[in-house]
Amino acid sequence: MLQKTWVKIFIWFMAIFFFFLASGVVISVLRPGPSENEAMSFMMGMMSAMDSSMMGVAMNIEHDNALQAVIALSASIALPVMVLSVAAGIGIRLWQRRDRNV
Amino acid sequence: MNVRFDFIMHWLWAIVWALLALSGFGMVGAKHGWLVNFNYATADFVHRLSAAVFVVLTFVSIAYEVFRNIKKDTKNLAWFVIGRSGYQLFTFITTLILIITGALIWICSEFNMSAVGFALLIHEYISYIALASVIWHIYKKCHALLSLKKPEAKLQKG
Repeated sequence: MLQKTWVKIFIWFMAIFFFFLASGVVISVLRPGPSENEAMSFMMGMMSAMDSSMMGVAMNIEHDNALQAVIALSASIALPVMVLSVAAGIGIRLWQRRDRNV
Repeated sequence: MNVRFDFIMHWLWAIVWALLALSGFGMVGAKHGWLVNFNYATADFVHRLSAAVFVVLTFVSIAYEVFRNIKKDTKNLAWFVIGRSGYQLFTFITTLILIITGALIWICSEFNMSAVGFALLIHEYISYIALASVIWHIYKKCHALLSLKKPEAKLQKG
C-alpha cells in the first residue's frame, strides 16, 4: 500500500495538515489579543451556533420528552456497562493467564 | 490490492481526528476563531458529527482488540490505533478521556455548568497534549513519508 503514489500523497497531505494545525494553535495561543472585533465575532459566532447548529438542537431537549427519556436511560446504564466491561476485561486477562500457566 | 484492516482504521481515524482537531481548536476562544473564520455554527456541527464517528471507530477498535485477545491472536498490527503499549496505549488513554469529557460537555450543558467547566478544561488540555503527540508521532514515523526505493534500482547501482 505504501508504495502507491496516491497513498504517499495522502500521507504527506495529512502530515502537512497536522503541522499547519499545530502552527495555527501555537500562533493562536501566543499572539496578543483578542481584539474587540474578534471578541465580537466570537460572541456573534456563538450566538449563531445556538440558533442553527446541533448546539441549538441540544438546547431544545427540555421540550422533548422522548429524548429526555433516552438520555436518562443512557445515563443510568452507563455506569453498570462500564463496570461490566472492566470486569469482563479483567476476566479475560485472568482466563488467559490461567491458560498460559497450564 | 492487499488492503489491511489496521491500515484503513489508522487513516480513517486520522481523517476524523483532523476534522475534530480543526473544528475543536477553532472553538477554544476568540483568539483561536480565525482557524474556522469565526463560523462556529459549522465548526460545532462538524465537531459533533465527527465526534459521533470517532466514538464508533473507537468502539470498533476496542471490540476488535478484545476479539483478538479472546482468540489469542498475538500478531503485531503495526498500523492499529490502540494497543497494549507505547503510542497505541497513549492514544487509547487520551481517546477515552476525550470521549468521556466530550460526552460530559455535550450532556451536562443543560443542567450542571460546573461539570461542563471542569470537562472543558480537561478536554482542551488533553487536546493540546494529543496534538503535540501527533507531531511527535509523525516525526517518529517519518520513514513513511520517504520514497521507498525499489530493490532493482539498488541492484543496478551495486
